Amino acid sequence: MKRSVTIIDYGMGNIWSVKSALEYLGCNVIVSDDNEVIKDSKYLVLPGVGSFKKAMISLSKSKLDKAILDATLKNQSKLLGICLGMQLMGIKSFEDGETDGLGLISKKVEKLKETKQNIFKIPHIGFNSVKSGPNSILFKDLADKSDFYFVHSYRMLSDGNGIEATAVNGEIFLAAYEKENIFATQFHPEKSQINGLTLLKNFLC
Amino acid sequence: MLKKRLIFILLYCDGYFMLSRNFRLQRVGDLNWLISNYDFSHISFFIDELIILDVSRKEKQTKFFIDTLKTISYKCFVPIASGGGVHSISDAKILLRSGADKVIINSSLFEKNNFLVNLSEEFGDQSIMASVDVKKSSEHGYQAVKKSGSEIVNESLTEILNNLIQSPIGELYLNSIDNDGTGDGYDFNLINLLPKNCHKPLIIAGGADNSKRLLEGFKNSSIDAVATAHLFNFIGDGLKSARNKLIESGVPLPIWDLDTVYDYKNILNAND
Repeated sequence: MKRSVTIIDYGMGNIWSVKSALEYLGCNVIVSDDNEVIKDSKYLVLPGVGSFKKAMISLSKSKLDKAILDATLKNQSKLLGICLGMQLMGIKSFEDGETDGLGLISKKVEKLKETKQNIFKIPHIGFNSVKSGPNSILFKDLADKSDFYFVHSYRMLSDGNGIEATAVNGEIFLAAYEKENIFATQFHPEKSQINGLTLLKNFLC
Repeated sequence: MLKKRLIFILLYCDGYFMLSRNFRLQRVGDLNWLISNYDFSHISFFIDELIILDVSRKEKQTKFFIDTLKTISYKCFVPIASGGGVHSISDAKILLRSGADKVIINSSLFEKNNFLVNLSEEFGDQSIMASVDVKKSSEHGYQAVKKSGSEIVNESLTEILNNLIQSPIGELYLNSIDNDGTGDGYDFNLINLLPKNCHKPLIIAGGADNSKRLLEGFKNSSIDAVATAHLFNFIGDGLKSARNKLIESGVPLPIWDLDTVYDYKNILNAND
Protein backbone atom coordinates (compact mmCIF):
# COMPACT_ATOMS: atom_id res chain seq x y z
CA MET A 1 0.00 0.00 0.00
CA LYS A 2 1.24 3.42 -0.90
CA ARG A 3 1.17 6.13 1.72
CA SER A 4 -1.70 8.52 1.02
CA VAL A 5 -1.22 12.25 1.42
CA THR A 6 -3.86 14.90 0.84
CA ILE A 7 -2.94 18.34 -0.47
CA ILE A 8 -5.55 20.85 0.65
CA ASP A 9 -6.69 22.75 -2.42
CA TYR A 10 -8.16 26.14 -1.59
CA GLY A 11 -7.42 27.64 -4.99
CA MET A 12 -4.06 29.14 -4.09
CA GLY A 13 -0.67 27.61 -4.21
CA ASN A 14 1.89 25.75 -6.26
CA ILE A 15 -0.05 22.51 -6.05
CA TRP A 16 1.66 20.84 -9.00
CA SER A 17 5.12 21.28 -7.46
CA VAL A 18 4.08 19.91 -4.09
CA LYS A 19 2.26 17.00 -5.72
CA SER A 20 5.24 16.14 -7.87
CA ALA A 21 7.62 16.06 -4.87
CA LEU A 22 5.27 13.82 -2.88
CA GLU A 23 4.82 11.48 -5.83
CA TYR A 24 8.59 11.31 -6.23
CA LEU A 25 8.65 10.03 -2.64
CA GLY A 26 6.29 7.25 -3.64
CA CYS A 27 3.09 8.66 -2.14
CA ASN A 28 -0.40 8.36 -3.42
CA VAL A 29 -1.33 12.05 -3.64
CA ILE A 30 -4.89 13.32 -3.39
CA VAL A 31 -5.58 16.97 -4.20
CA SER A 32 -8.85 17.86 -2.54
CA ASP A 33 -11.16 20.64 -1.44
CA ASP A 34 -13.62 18.13 0.04
CA ASN A 35 -14.07 18.57 3.80
CA GLU A 36 -14.83 14.88 4.38
CA VAL A 37 -11.72 13.72 2.50
CA ILE A 38 -9.59 16.18 4.45
CA LYS A 39 -11.07 15.21 7.81
CA ASP A 40 -10.26 11.55 7.17
CA SER A 41 -6.71 12.01 5.87
CA LYS A 42 -3.82 10.91 8.06
CA TYR A 43 -1.33 13.14 6.27
CA LEU A 44 -2.25 16.65 5.16
CA VAL A 45 -0.24 19.29 3.37
CA LEU A 46 -1.34 22.93 3.34
CA PRO A 47 0.57 24.65 0.56
CA GLY A 48 0.25 28.29 -0.33
CA VAL A 49 1.53 31.07 -2.48
CA GLY A 50 -0.28 34.34 -2.16
CA SER A 51 -1.95 36.72 0.20
CA PHE A 52 -2.92 35.73 3.73
CA LYS A 53 -6.24 37.52 3.71
CA LYS A 54 -7.44 36.01 0.41
CA ALA A 55 -6.35 32.58 1.57
CA MET A 56 -8.24 32.81 4.89
CA ILE A 57 -11.36 34.06 3.12
CA SER A 58 -11.12 31.14 0.73
CA LEU A 59 -10.57 28.62 3.55
CA SER A 60 -13.50 29.86 5.62
CA LYS A 61 -15.88 30.19 2.67
CA SER A 62 -15.41 26.52 1.85
CA LYS A 63 -15.32 25.56 5.58
CA LEU A 64 -11.92 24.04 4.93
CA ASP A 65 -10.66 25.86 8.03
CA LYS A 66 -12.96 23.78 10.20
CA ALA A 67 -12.03 20.56 8.38
CA ILE A 68 -8.33 21.25 8.99
CA LEU A 69 -8.95 21.89 12.69
CA ASP A 70 -11.08 18.73 12.99
CA ALA A 71 -8.43 16.64 11.26
CA THR A 72 -5.52 17.93 13.34
CA LEU A 73 -7.15 18.47 16.74
CA LYS A 74 -9.72 15.64 16.82
CA ASN A 75 -8.22 13.01 14.53
CA GLN A 76 -4.57 13.83 15.26
CA SER A 77 -3.76 13.91 11.54
CA LYS A 78 -0.26 15.11 10.70
CA LEU A 79 -0.30 18.51 9.00
CA LEU A 80 2.55 20.22 7.16
CA GLY A 81 2.06 23.88 6.27
CA ILE A 82 4.37 25.26 3.61
CA CYS A 83 5.23 28.97 3.23
CA LEU A 84 1.86 30.79 3.26
CA GLY A 85 0.45 27.50 4.56
CA MET A 86 2.66 27.87 7.65
CA GLN A 87 1.58 31.47 8.14
CA LEU A 88 -2.11 30.50 7.89
CA MET A 89 -1.53 28.17 10.85
CA GLY A 90 -0.57 31.17 13.03
CA ILE A 91 -2.85 33.21 15.29
CA LYS A 92 -3.03 36.25 13.03
CA SER A 93 -1.24 38.07 10.24
CA PHE A 94 -0.61 41.77 9.75
CA GLU A 95 -0.35 41.46 5.96
CA ASP A 96 -2.97 43.67 4.35
CA GLY A 97 -4.54 44.81 7.63
CA GLU A 98 -5.13 42.26 10.35
CA THR A 99 -6.52 38.79 9.71
CA ASP A 100 -7.02 35.86 12.07
CA GLY A 101 -5.37 32.58 11.13
CA LEU A 102 -6.13 28.97 12.05
CA GLY A 103 -4.44 29.29 15.44
CA LEU A 104 -2.60 25.96 15.31
CA ILE A 105 0.70 27.74 15.98
CA SER A 106 0.49 30.35 18.72
CA LYS A 107 2.55 32.97 16.93
CA LYS A 108 1.84 36.13 14.93
CA VAL A 109 2.83 36.76 11.32
CA GLU A 110 4.52 40.08 10.60
CA LYS A 111 6.65 41.61 7.86
CA LEU A 112 10.37 40.87 7.84
CA LYS A 113 12.24 43.68 9.51
CA GLU A 114 13.49 46.29 7.04
CA THR A 115 17.03 47.51 7.54
CA LYS A 116 18.13 51.08 6.82
CA GLN A 117 20.71 50.27 4.18
CA ASN A 118 18.60 47.60 2.51
CA ILE A 119 21.47 45.17 2.92
CA PHE A 120 18.89 42.48 3.44
CA LYS A 121 16.41 42.61 0.62
CA ILE A 122 12.68 42.00 0.99
CA PRO A 123 11.15 39.75 -0.26
CA HIS A 124 13.67 37.27 1.06
CA ILE A 125 14.24 35.14 -2.04
CA GLY A 126 16.72 32.30 -2.53
CA PHE A 127 18.42 29.46 -0.71
CA ASN A 128 19.35 30.24 2.87
CA SER A 129 20.85 28.07 5.57
CA VAL A 130 18.55 26.84 8.31
CA LYS A 131 19.64 26.14 11.86
CA SER A 132 17.55 23.29 13.14
CA GLY A 133 16.51 22.71 16.72
CA PRO A 134 17.41 19.63 18.79
CA ASN A 135 15.14 16.57 18.57
CA SER A 136 13.57 17.75 15.36
CA ILE A 137 11.70 15.15 13.34
CA LEU A 138 11.71 17.24 10.15
CA PHE A 139 15.49 17.78 10.14
CA LYS A 140 16.48 14.17 10.91
CA ASP A 141 19.46 13.09 8.72
CA LEU A 142 20.01 16.68 7.56
CA ALA A 143 23.26 18.50 8.27
CA ASP A 144 22.93 21.55 10.50
CA LYS A 145 22.69 24.74 8.41
CA SER A 146 21.33 22.93 5.35
CA ASP A 147 20.08 25.18 2.54
CA PHE A 148 16.38 25.59 1.75
CA TYR A 149 14.53 27.80 -0.73
CA PHE A 150 12.67 30.80 0.66
CA VAL A 151 10.39 33.26 -1.10
CA HIS A 152 8.46 35.45 1.35
CA SER A 153 8.08 38.90 2.89
CA TYR A 154 6.29 37.92 6.10
CA ARG A 155 7.46 35.63 8.89
CA MET A 156 6.91 34.35 12.41
CA LEU A 157 9.47 34.79 15.16
CA SER A 158 10.97 32.12 17.35
CA ASP A 159 9.71 32.23 20.96
CA GLY A 160 10.84 28.90 22.34
CA ASN A 161 7.42 27.29 21.98
CA GLY A 162 7.64 24.00 20.06
CA ILE A 163 10.66 22.65 18.21
CA GLU A 164 11.93 25.54 16.15
CA ALA A 165 14.39 26.03 13.32
CA THR A 166 15.62 29.49 12.36
CA ALA A 167 17.19 31.40 9.48
CA VAL A 168 18.63 34.90 9.21
CA ASN A 169 17.71 37.76 6.91
CA GLY A 170 18.39 40.98 8.76
CA GLU A 171 16.92 39.30 11.84
CA ILE A 172 16.55 35.77 13.14
CA PHE A 173 13.15 34.43 12.10
CA LEU A 174 11.28 31.15 12.27
CA ALA A 175 12.15 28.85 9.36
CA ALA A 176 10.35 25.74 10.60
CA TYR A 177 8.16 24.65 13.48
CA GLU A 178 6.95 21.37 14.88
CA LYS A 179 4.85 20.35 17.85
CA GLU A 180 3.21 16.94 18.11
CA ASN A 181 1.27 16.45 14.86
CA ILE A 182 1.68 20.07 13.67
CA PHE A 183 4.56 20.83 11.27
CA ALA A 184 5.36 23.92 9.26
CA THR A 185 8.11 25.35 7.09
CA GLN A 186 8.48 28.95 5.91
CA PHE A 187 10.69 27.66 3.09
CA HIS A 188 9.60 25.43 0.21
CA PRO A 189 10.85 21.84 0.75
CA GLU A 190 9.38 20.86 -2.63
CA LYS A 191 11.81 23.33 -4.21
CA SER A 192 14.85 22.59 -2.07
CA GLN A 193 16.41 19.70 -3.94
CA ILE A 194 17.66 16.73 -1.93
CA ASN A 195 17.36 18.63 1.39
CA GLY A 196 13.69 19.34 0.80
CA LEU A 197 12.92 15.79 -0.27
CA THR A 198 14.61 14.48 2.87
CA LEU A 199 12.52 16.83 5.01
CA LEU A 200 9.29 15.74 3.30
CA LYS A 201 10.28 12.11 3.81
CA ASN A 202 10.81 12.82 7.52
CA PHE A 203 7.34 14.36 7.77
CA LEU A 204 5.82 11.25 6.21
CA CYS A 205 7.75 8.70 8.27
CA MET B 1 23.43 33.34 4.96
CA LEU B 2 21.42 33.97 1.81
CA LYS B 3 23.11 32.27 -1.15
CA LYS B 4 23.53 33.57 -4.71
CA ARG B 5 21.55 31.87 -7.49
CA LEU B 6 22.47 30.41 -10.86
CA ILE B 7 19.44 30.51 -13.16
CA PHE B 8 18.95 28.66 -16.43
CA ILE B 9 16.46 30.12 -18.91
CA LEU B 10 14.43 28.10 -21.39
CA LEU B 11 12.86 30.01 -24.29
CA TYR B 12 9.84 28.25 -25.76
CA CYS B 13 8.30 29.22 -29.09
CA ASP B 14 5.59 27.33 -30.95
CA GLY B 15 6.60 23.91 -29.66
CA TYR B 16 10.38 24.40 -29.79
CA PHE B 17 13.15 25.58 -27.52
CA MET B 18 15.13 28.44 -28.95
CA LEU B 19 18.52 30.07 -28.93
CA SER B 20 18.22 33.83 -28.92
CA ARG B 21 20.66 36.42 -30.25
CA ASN B 22 19.61 40.05 -29.83
CA PHE B 23 16.08 38.60 -29.54
CA ARG B 24 16.27 36.92 -32.95
CA LEU B 25 15.25 33.35 -32.34
CA GLN B 26 16.80 30.21 -33.71
CA ARG B 27 15.04 26.88 -33.33
CA VAL B 28 17.09 24.30 -31.40
CA GLY B 29 14.85 21.37 -30.54
CA ASP B 30 11.53 20.23 -29.18
CA LEU B 31 10.70 18.87 -25.74
CA ASN B 32 12.21 15.47 -26.59
CA TRP B 33 15.43 17.18 -27.62
CA LEU B 34 15.44 19.11 -24.36
CA ILE B 35 14.85 16.02 -22.26
CA SER B 36 17.57 14.02 -24.00
CA ASN B 37 20.10 16.85 -23.69
CA TYR B 38 19.03 18.36 -20.38
CA ASP B 39 17.66 15.89 -17.87
CA PHE B 40 16.20 18.43 -15.46
CA SER B 41 15.20 15.82 -12.94
CA HIS B 42 18.93 15.22 -12.58
CA ILE B 43 20.70 18.31 -13.84
CA SER B 44 18.50 20.53 -11.74
CA PHE B 45 20.90 19.66 -8.95
CA PHE B 46 23.29 22.02 -10.72
CA ILE B 47 21.06 25.06 -11.07
CA ASP B 48 19.24 27.02 -8.40
CA GLU B 49 16.29 28.12 -10.44
CA LEU B 50 14.71 27.66 -13.82
CA ILE B 51 13.00 30.32 -15.93
CA ILE B 52 10.65 29.03 -18.62
CA LEU B 53 9.34 31.68 -21.00
CA ASP B 54 6.81 31.41 -23.79
CA VAL B 55 8.34 33.78 -26.34
CA SER B 56 6.01 32.80 -29.19
CA ARG B 57 5.56 35.93 -31.26
CA LYS B 58 2.25 35.14 -32.87
CA GLU B 59 -0.62 33.80 -30.83
CA LYS B 60 0.45 31.93 -27.70
CA GLN B 61 -0.56 28.30 -27.67
CA THR B 62 -1.26 28.27 -23.97
CA LYS B 63 -2.30 24.65 -23.63
CA PHE B 64 0.86 23.29 -25.26
CA PHE B 65 3.03 25.61 -23.23
CA ILE B 66 1.31 24.62 -20.00
CA ASP B 67 1.76 20.92 -20.80
CA THR B 68 5.43 21.58 -21.48
CA LEU B 69 5.77 23.46 -18.20
CA LYS B 70 4.15 20.55 -16.38
CA THR B 71 6.42 17.99 -18.02
CA ILE B 72 9.60 19.94 -17.23
CA SER B 73 8.60 20.82 -13.68
CA TYR B 74 7.61 17.30 -12.76
CA LYS B 75 10.47 15.90 -10.67
CA CYS B 76 12.40 19.15 -10.99
CA PHE B 77 12.82 20.31 -7.42
CA VAL B 78 14.13 23.80 -7.97
CA PRO B 79 12.07 26.98 -8.08
CA ILE B 80 10.55 27.75 -11.45
CA ALA B 81 9.52 31.17 -12.73
CA SER B 82 7.41 31.26 -15.83
CA GLY B 83 5.80 33.81 -18.08
CA GLY B 84 5.31 35.16 -21.57
CA GLY B 85 2.03 36.88 -22.34
CA VAL B 86 0.74 37.11 -18.77
CA HIS B 87 -1.96 39.79 -18.90
CA SER B 88 -4.53 38.63 -16.37
CA ILE B 89 -4.95 37.02 -12.97
CA SER B 90 -6.11 33.83 -14.64
CA ASP B 91 -3.02 33.75 -16.91
CA ALA B 92 -0.91 33.90 -13.76
CA LYS B 93 -3.01 31.36 -11.89
CA ILE B 94 -2.71 28.68 -14.55
CA LEU B 95 1.09 29.00 -14.52
CA LEU B 96 1.21 28.82 -10.73
CA ARG B 97 -0.93 25.70 -10.79
CA SER B 98 1.17 24.02 -13.47
CA GLY B 99 4.64 23.99 -11.93
CA ALA B 100 5.58 27.67 -11.72
CA ASP B 101 6.35 29.16 -8.33
CA LYS B 102 6.61 32.70 -9.64
CA VAL B 103 5.16 34.53 -12.64
CA ILE B 104 7.19 36.75 -14.91
CA ILE B 105 5.56 39.98 -16.06
CA ASN B 106 7.03 41.89 -18.98
CA SER B 107 4.86 43.86 -21.46
CA SER B 108 1.98 44.18 -18.96
CA LEU B 109 4.27 46.24 -16.72
CA PHE B 110 3.70 49.13 -19.09
CA GLU B 111 -0.07 48.99 -19.24
CA LYS B 112 -1.61 51.79 -17.27
CA ASN B 113 -3.75 49.79 -14.91
CA ASN B 114 -3.52 48.27 -11.51
CA PHE B 115 -2.34 44.91 -12.79
CA LEU B 116 0.66 44.56 -10.45
CA VAL B 117 -1.42 45.60 -7.46
CA ASN B 118 -4.18 43.15 -8.36
CA LEU B 119 -1.68 40.36 -8.95
CA SER B 120 0.04 40.97 -5.64
CA GLU B 121 -3.25 41.04 -3.76
CA GLU B 122 -3.97 37.62 -5.20
CA PHE B 123 -0.58 35.92 -5.09
CA GLY B 124 1.62 38.15 -2.94
CA ASP B 125 4.38 40.38 -4.31
CA GLN B 126 6.98 37.66 -3.75
CA SER B 127 5.38 35.66 -6.60
CA ILE B 128 5.95 38.42 -9.13
CA MET B 129 9.14 38.75 -11.16
CA ALA B 130 9.20 41.99 -13.14
CA SER B 131 11.18 41.53 -16.32
CA VAL B 132 12.49 44.52 -18.24
CA ASP B 133 14.16 44.12 -21.63
CA VAL B 134 16.57 46.93 -22.34
CA LYS B 135 18.01 48.24 -25.61
CA LYS B 136 20.66 50.87 -26.13
CA SER B 137 20.61 53.42 -28.94
CA SER B 138 23.13 56.13 -29.70
CA GLU B 139 20.36 58.71 -29.80
CA HIS B 140 18.32 57.85 -26.70
CA GLY B 141 20.68 55.81 -24.55
CA TYR B 142 19.06 52.95 -22.64
CA GLN B 143 15.35 52.35 -23.24
CA ALA B 144 12.90 49.70 -22.14
CA VAL B 145 11.24 47.69 -24.89
CA LYS B 146 8.13 45.55 -24.75
CA LYS B 147 6.38 42.88 -26.83
CA SER B 148 9.47 40.70 -27.40
CA GLY B 149 11.64 43.72 -28.03
CA SER B 150 9.47 45.03 -30.85
CA GLU B 151 8.12 48.21 -29.25
CA ILE B 152 10.08 50.92 -27.51
CA VAL B 153 8.61 52.28 -24.29
CA ASN B 154 8.94 56.03 -24.39
CA GLU B 155 9.20 56.68 -20.66
CA SER B 156 12.64 57.20 -19.18
CA LEU B 157 14.15 53.86 -18.14
CA THR B 158 15.44 55.28 -14.87
CA GLU B 159 11.93 56.37 -14.00
CA ILE B 160 10.45 53.03 -15.03
CA LEU B 161 12.89 51.16 -12.79
CA ASN B 162 12.39 53.59 -9.94
CA ASN B 163 8.62 53.12 -10.13
CA LEU B 164 8.92 49.35 -10.43
CA ILE B 165 10.99 49.12 -7.29
CA GLN B 166 8.23 50.92 -5.40
CA SER B 167 5.61 48.58 -6.91
CA PRO B 168 4.42 45.33 -5.33
CA ILE B 169 6.92 43.07 -7.10
CA GLY B 170 9.17 40.37 -5.68
CA GLU B 171 12.24 40.73 -7.83
CA LEU B 172 13.62 42.50 -10.84
CA TYR B 173 14.95 40.70 -13.92
CA LEU B 174 17.01 42.89 -16.26
CA ASN B 175 17.90 41.64 -19.72
CA SER B 176 20.12 43.37 -22.25
CA ILE B 177 18.89 42.82 -25.79
CA ASP B 178 22.18 44.13 -27.19
CA ASN B 179 24.22 41.56 -25.29
CA ASP B 180 21.66 38.74 -25.57
CA GLY B 181 23.26 35.65 -27.12
CA THR B 182 26.54 37.43 -27.92
CA GLY B 183 28.77 35.99 -25.20
CA ASP B 184 30.10 39.51 -24.57
CA GLY B 185 29.18 39.32 -20.90
CA TYR B 186 26.51 41.13 -18.92
CA ASP B 187 25.93 44.85 -19.36
CA PHE B 188 26.69 46.09 -15.87
CA ASN B 189 25.77 49.64 -16.85
CA LEU B 190 22.15 48.54 -16.45
CA ILE B 191 22.73 48.40 -12.71
CA ASN B 192 23.73 52.06 -12.67
CA LEU B 193 20.23 52.90 -13.90
CA LEU B 194 18.76 51.52 -10.70
CA PRO B 195 18.26 53.74 -7.69
CA LYS B 196 20.89 53.35 -4.98
CA ASN B 197 19.83 51.01 -2.19
CA CYS B 198 17.62 48.99 -4.53
CA HIS B 199 15.86 46.77 -2.05
CA LYS B 200 14.48 44.18 -4.48
CA PRO B 201 16.45 41.08 -5.41
CA LEU B 202 18.13 41.58 -8.80
CA ILE B 203 18.57 39.05 -11.60
CA ILE B 204 20.74 39.90 -14.60
CA ALA B 205 20.58 38.26 -18.02
CA GLY B 206 21.95 38.76 -21.51
CA GLY B 207 25.49 38.02 -22.61
CA ALA B 208 26.70 35.10 -20.49
CA ASP B 209 27.57 31.93 -22.36
CA ASN B 210 30.16 30.33 -20.09
CA SER B 211 31.20 30.06 -16.45
CA LYS B 212 33.64 33.00 -16.71
CA ARG B 213 30.83 35.30 -17.75
CA LEU B 214 28.60 33.96 -14.99
CA LEU B 215 31.39 34.59 -12.47
CA GLU B 216 31.69 38.22 -13.63
CA GLY B 217 28.02 38.60 -12.78
CA PHE B 218 28.43 37.08 -9.33
CA LYS B 219 31.33 39.45 -8.58
CA ASN B 220 28.96 42.41 -8.74
CA SER B 221 27.60 42.75 -5.23
CA SER B 222 24.28 44.30 -6.35
CA ILE B 223 23.37 41.13 -8.23
CA ASP B 224 21.55 38.31 -6.46
CA ALA B 225 21.20 35.92 -9.37
CA VAL B 226 22.81 35.48 -12.78
CA ALA B 227 20.98 33.90 -15.68
CA THR B 228 21.92 32.31 -18.97
CA ALA B 229 19.78 31.03 -21.82
CA HIS B 230 22.61 29.52 -23.82
CA LEU B 231 20.99 26.23 -24.79
CA PHE B 232 24.03 24.88 -26.68
CA ASN B 233 26.84 25.65 -24.28
CA PHE B 234 25.60 23.73 -21.27
CA ILE B 235 24.50 20.47 -22.84
CA GLY B 236 25.30 17.26 -20.95
CA ASP B 237 27.60 18.08 -18.03
CA GLY B 238 27.87 21.77 -18.93
CA LEU B 239 25.82 23.10 -16.04
CA LYS B 240 27.53 20.77 -13.58
CA SER B 241 31.02 21.85 -14.56
CA ALA B 242 30.05 25.53 -14.68
CA ARG B 243 28.61 25.27 -11.20
CA ASN B 244 31.67 23.48 -9.83
CA LYS B 245 33.94 26.18 -11.28
CA LEU B 246 31.80 28.88 -9.66
CA ILE B 247 31.90 27.17 -6.29
CA GLU B 248 35.70 26.71 -6.60
CA SER B 249 35.97 30.43 -7.32
CA GLY B 250 34.25 31.14 -4.02
CA VAL B 251 30.74 32.02 -5.20
CA PRO B 252 28.37 31.30 -2.29
CA LEU B 253 25.97 28.89 -4.02
CA PRO B 254 23.94 26.33 -2.11
CA ILE B 255 25.79 23.02 -1.92
CA TRP B 256 23.93 19.76 -2.33
CA ASP B 257 25.01 16.49 -0.86
CA LEU B 258 24.67 14.49 -4.05
CA ASP B 259 25.97 11.31 -2.45
CA THR B 260 22.88 11.15 -0.28
CA VAL B 261 20.54 9.11 -2.37
CA TYR B 262 17.73 7.57 -0.45
CA ASP B 263 15.44 4.88 -1.61
CA TYR B 264 12.51 6.97 -0.50
CA LYS B 265 9.80 4.70 -1.75
CA ASN B 266 10.99 1.76 0.33
CA ILE B 267 11.48 3.84 3.45
CA LEU B 268 7.99 5.31 3.23
CA ASN B 269 6.01 2.30 2.25
CA ALA B 270 7.76 -0.32 4.37
CA ASN B 271 5.61 0.36 7.44
CA ASP B 272 2.26 0.38 5.68
